[in-house]
Amino acid sequence: MADIPLEGGIPRARRLNPTLARYLSAFRTPKGVIGLSILAVMSLAALLAPVLFPGGYDEQGREALTGISAGHIFGVDEFGRDIFVRSVYGLRIDLSLIFTAVPLSMAIGVLLGLSGALSEHLGSAVQRLLDVIIGFPGLILGICLVAILGPGWPALFLTILISGLPTAGRLARGAWLAQQSREYVLAARVLGVSRPQLLVRHVLPNAMDSAVVNAAVWMVVGVYIEAGLSIVGLGVQPPTPSLGVLLNNGLRFVTQSPTYIVGPALLLLLVAVGFSLVSDALNEAVNRR
Amino acid sequence: MTSTEPLAPVTAKDVPLLRVEGLRTEFRLRNGGVKAVNDVSFDIYPGDVLGIVGESGSGKSVTARSIMRMLRPPGEVVAGSVRLGGEDLLALPEREMRRRRGSKVAMVFQDPQAALNPVMKVGDQIAEAMTLHGVDRQTARRRAIELLDQVGIPDVRTKIDHYPHQFSGGMRQRVVIAIALANDPALLIADEPTTALDVTIQAQILRLLARLRTELGIAIAIITHDMGVVAELCTDVVVMYGGRTVEKGTVEQVFEQPRHPYTAALLAAMPRLDDDRIGQPLPAIPGAPPDPAAPPPGCPFAPRCRFTEDVCEHEPPELLQIGTDGQSAACFVAQRATTDVSVRDPEPAPADISVHAAPEAAVADATTPVLEVRDLRIDVGSRRRGLFHRDPPVYAVDSVSLSVHAGRTLGLVGESGCGKSTLSRSIVGINRVSGGSVLVDGADVSTMGQADLGRVRSSVQYLFQDPYASLNPRRTIRQSLSEALAFRGVGRREREEAARSLMEQVGLRAEHLDRYPHAFSGGQRQRIGIARALARQPRALILDEPVSALDMSIQAQIINLLEQLQNELGLGYLFIAHDLSVVRHLSDTVAVMYLGRIVEYGDAADVYGNPQHPYTAALMSSSPVPSVSARTRERIVLPGDLPSPANPPSGCRFRTRCPIGPLVNPERTICTEIDPQLTLTATGQRAACHFADNGKETE
Repeated sequence: MADIPLEGGIPRARRLNPTLARYLSAFRTPKGVIGLSILAVMSLAALLAPVLFPGGYDEQGREALTGISAGHIFGVDEFGRDIFVRSVYGLRIDLSLIFTAVPLSMAIGVLLGLSGALSEHLGSAVQRLLDVIIGFPGLILGICLVAILGPGWPALFLTILISGLPTAGRLARGAWLAQQSREYVLAARVLGVSRPQLLVRHVLPNAMDSAVVNAAVWMVVGVYIEAGLSIVGLGVQPPTPSLGVLLNNGLRFVTQSPTYIVGPALLLLLVAVGFSLVSDALNEAVNRR
Repeated sequence: MTSTEPLAPVTAKDVPLLRVEGLRTEFRLRNGGVKAVNDVSFDIYPGDVLGIVGESGSGKSVTARSIMRMLRPPGEVVAGSVRLGGEDLLALPEREMRRRRGSKVAMVFQDPQAALNPVMKVGDQIAEAMTLHGVDRQTARRRAIELLDQVGIPDVRTKIDHYPHQFSGGMRQRVVIAIALANDPALLIADEPTTALDVTIQAQILRLLARLRTELGIAIAIITHDMGVVAELCTDVVVMYGGRTVEKGTVEQVFEQPRHPYTAALLAAMPRLDDDRIGQPLPAIPGAPPDPAAPPPGCPFAPRCRFTEDVCEHEPPELLQIGTDGQSAACFVAQRATTDVSVRDPEPAPADISVHAAPEAAVADATTPVLEVRDLRIDVGSRRRGLFHRDPPVYAVDSVSLSVHAGRTLGLVGESGCGKSTLSRSIVGINRVSGGSVLVDGADVSTMGQADLGRVRSSVQYLFQDPYASLNPRRTIRQSLSEALAFRGVGRREREEAARSLMEQVGLRAEHLDRYPHAFSGGQRQRIGIARALARQPRALILDEPVSALDMSIQAQIINLLEQLQNELGLGYLFIAHDLSVVRHLSDTVAVMYLGRIVEYGDAADVYGNPQHPYTAALMSSSPVPSVSARTRERIVLPGDLPSPANPPSGCRFRTRCPIGPLVNPERTICTEIDPQLTLTATGQRAACHFADNGKETE
C-alpha cells in the first residue's frame, strides 16, 4: 500500500468540537459581545435582585406617582413603591419564563419536527397538528390557557412553550427534508444505521444551527408574549411585578405620571435588543464559510 | 440583419484578435491575497478555437472572467492587458466595456439551466440581447428566428415562444449559444459548455460549435477540464496549472509531443477507449493540485513532478518556446531539451496483476454471483399517492438483469436518466423495488425486510459519487469509520486498530482519523468513502460514478486503488459511470443502459471492440478521445434527446434516435412494433436490437 501517494496539504484539525466552536465564534463579533453583555448585566441584576434590594418589590415610600428623580430613577408607582426595584424583580419573572420555556419549546419542537425521519406518515400528521397551533394567535392561545389554568406563571409558561413549537418543528422538518437525500445520510443507511440512530447521529447535529438561532429569536418573542398577556391583565397577578404588569400599570397612570411607563419599557427594549443582537451574531456565525 | 463590420478573414494569422499579456488576477481576502491567475499570456487569432484546459483551481475560469471583466470582488485584475483588436479591454470605462460585452465578445456558461431566465420566453431573451445594443424589436425577432435555426433548434416558429423549461438541457445550451451569437461577436468564450451535458448531447454541441466557427469565421475560446473535448474541437491549446500557463501550442503539438511534465503525465494517466493497458495500473500522478491560497514558491507542479530539481522548488519557470513551431512550456527541465518528459511507454505490468483476468474469470463465471438482479423493475412514478388518485407507474428501470461475480467488475454505462443510479440504489434498499428480484450470494432479498436488508448490507456496500456530500461534515473520520465497524460487530476496543488499518489500506495516514471531512481534499475524501464501505467487509461494492467528481490528475489514483483492492480482497464491483474510457479500463463485463433497459451486455472487449447495438456504437463514437489521431474517426452523432421514461416509445425504446432504425429506414417497421429482447450476437455479446449486426456500418 505504501506506493499509493498521499495528497498533500491537510490543514490541522481543531481541538474543539467545530459546531460548538462556530457558535462560540459568534461571541467574538461586536454584535455578539454587545448583545451578550446586555443580557449578562440584565441576568445578573435579575438573579441578584434579593441581594441588591433586600426590601423586596413591595417596600412602600411616602409619596406615590412621582416622576423620575435622583432617589427613584424610574419614579414611584401608585402605592409609593420604587419602579426601578419593581422592574428588576419583574425582569426576574420574565427571564425565568423565557430561559425555561423557550429552550424546552425548541427541544420539543425539533423532536416533533424530526418525527418525519421515523415515519413519513407520523411526520405529516405531526406537521398538521403544529399547523393548528399556528392558527391560534399567541394572545388567543394565552387567553384559552388562562381560562383553564387561571392567570399566573404556569399559563404564561405554557403559552410561550406552545407557541414556539410550530416554528421549531418546521425548521427541523425542513432540515430533515433537505438532508434525507444527502449522500451522507444515504451512506449511513447503506451501512445499516437504524432510523432513530440516523436521527441522533446524522440529522440532529446538522439541524442544530437553525434551532439555535431560532431559540435566540424566540427569547424576544417570549418576552413579548408575557408583556402582551400582562397588559390585558392575564399575566402574573399583583403584587408580583413583571415587565408586562408594570407596563400595564404604567398605561393606567399615564396621565398622572407619564414617566411611569418609561423605565419598564426601556428594560423590555434592552432585553429585546440583547437577544436580537445575539441571534443575529449566531446567524452570521453559522452561515459563515 | 447584416453585421456592420466585415468578418476578419480566417487566414489573417498575423494579427491576433485577442491578445492577453501578463494577466494577473488576485482575490484579496482577509487572510491575504490568492493569486488565482499568475502571469498568463496567449493570443487568439480569427478562426481559431483555443482550448484553455486545467483542473479545478487552475485559474482557467478566472482567466475567462478577467477577459470579460466579470470578476466579482474581492477578485481583481492586478496586472496585464487584454487587447481585443488593439483596444485594451482592461483600460475601458465600465460603460464602454458593457458595449463590447455581447457585441464583440460573448460568453456561454456551463449551466444552461441557470443561464436562462425561467420566466421569459426564449425568443424574447435572444431579442433582448440585441435590443440592448440598439436593434429594433421587429428586426431582433426576425434575427432570433434565424439564430435558433442556425443553432439547430427544430420547429423554430413555435419554439421561439416557449419557455426555457420546455427545452431539454442540450436544447437550452443551444439557446444560450444563440443568445451569445446574437450580435455577431468576433469572439465566443465558452466556459465548460458541455460539462453539464450527456455524451451524446455533448457531441451535438461540439459539432455545432465547430460548424459555427467555419460558417461564421468567429474565434472560440473553450474553457474545459476535458482533454478529449480539446482534442476534438480545438486548434490551439493553453494548459493551465496552479494559476499559471504551463504549456501552450497547437493541439497537434501538445497532444503528440507534450513538452511539460504535467501535460505529459496527465495524458498518460487518463484511461482511454483504445486502452491496451487493461489490468495494469495507470501511471497516476502522485499528490494533489496545489491549494490556490498557498501555492508552492517555485513551479506549481514541482511537488508532484518526476523531474523536479532544486531550481524548480525555488523559482517559477518562464514560459519559453521549445522546439521550432511556437510550442512553449514553462519547465526548466524541458527547456534544456535533454530529458524526454513524455510517459510514452507504460512501465511493464507487475506479473501478478495479469493473473486476475483470464483463469480466475473462468472459475468465477461458474460460481454463484455475489450480486444478481433478475428482471428488476423500479417504479419511481407512483410515489405520490392521494386518497382517490394514484399516479401511473413510471418505470425508471424496466426488466433489467445483471450479475456481479467476485473479483470481477461489471461496468454499467448510460446517460443521465437511463436509470443506472436508480437501479444501484434499489439494490441497497434506498429505492423501492416493484418487480423482479435482487439476489445476494444466491439468496433472494427482494422484499427488503429487516433480515434481507441486514444481509444486503453486510455483503454489498456503496461508494457515492460526490466525496464532498457523502461524509457527514459534523463527524470525524474516526466516528464515521467506527459507526461502520460497530455494525460489523467489532468490539469497542478493536475498533481503534481496525480503523487505523482501514486508513492505511486506502492510502491515508492513521494519524488523520480525528480530522473532520473538510480537512481533506476530494481524492482523500473518496478514499475515506472507500474505507467506510470496506469497514463492513463487503463482498461486492457498488461504485456510483466514483471518480467523475474528482480532478483529472486524481482520477487515476482512485482507479488504481480500486483495482488494487479488488485484487487483494476479491471484491465484485458494479461500476456505474458515464465515462466510457474509465469503464473500459476497469471492467471485465459491460452493460449499456438506455431508458431503463439494458441494450447491450457482454465482455468488455467484445462490446468495445464490436458494438452491436447502434446506441453503444453512438456512445463510443460520441465520447471525446484525448488524442489527435482520433479526430479523423467517423462519428455518429445521435439526433434528439432521451425520451421520458414516463412515456417510452413503442417497440424499441431507442427508435426515436436510432441511426439505423425507422428514422432513416422507414421500411423497418418492426422497430416501432416489437420490443427487441437481448439476444446473442455473432460477436459473443448480447444486444437488444432487431438489426444488431448492422450497428456499425450504417451512419
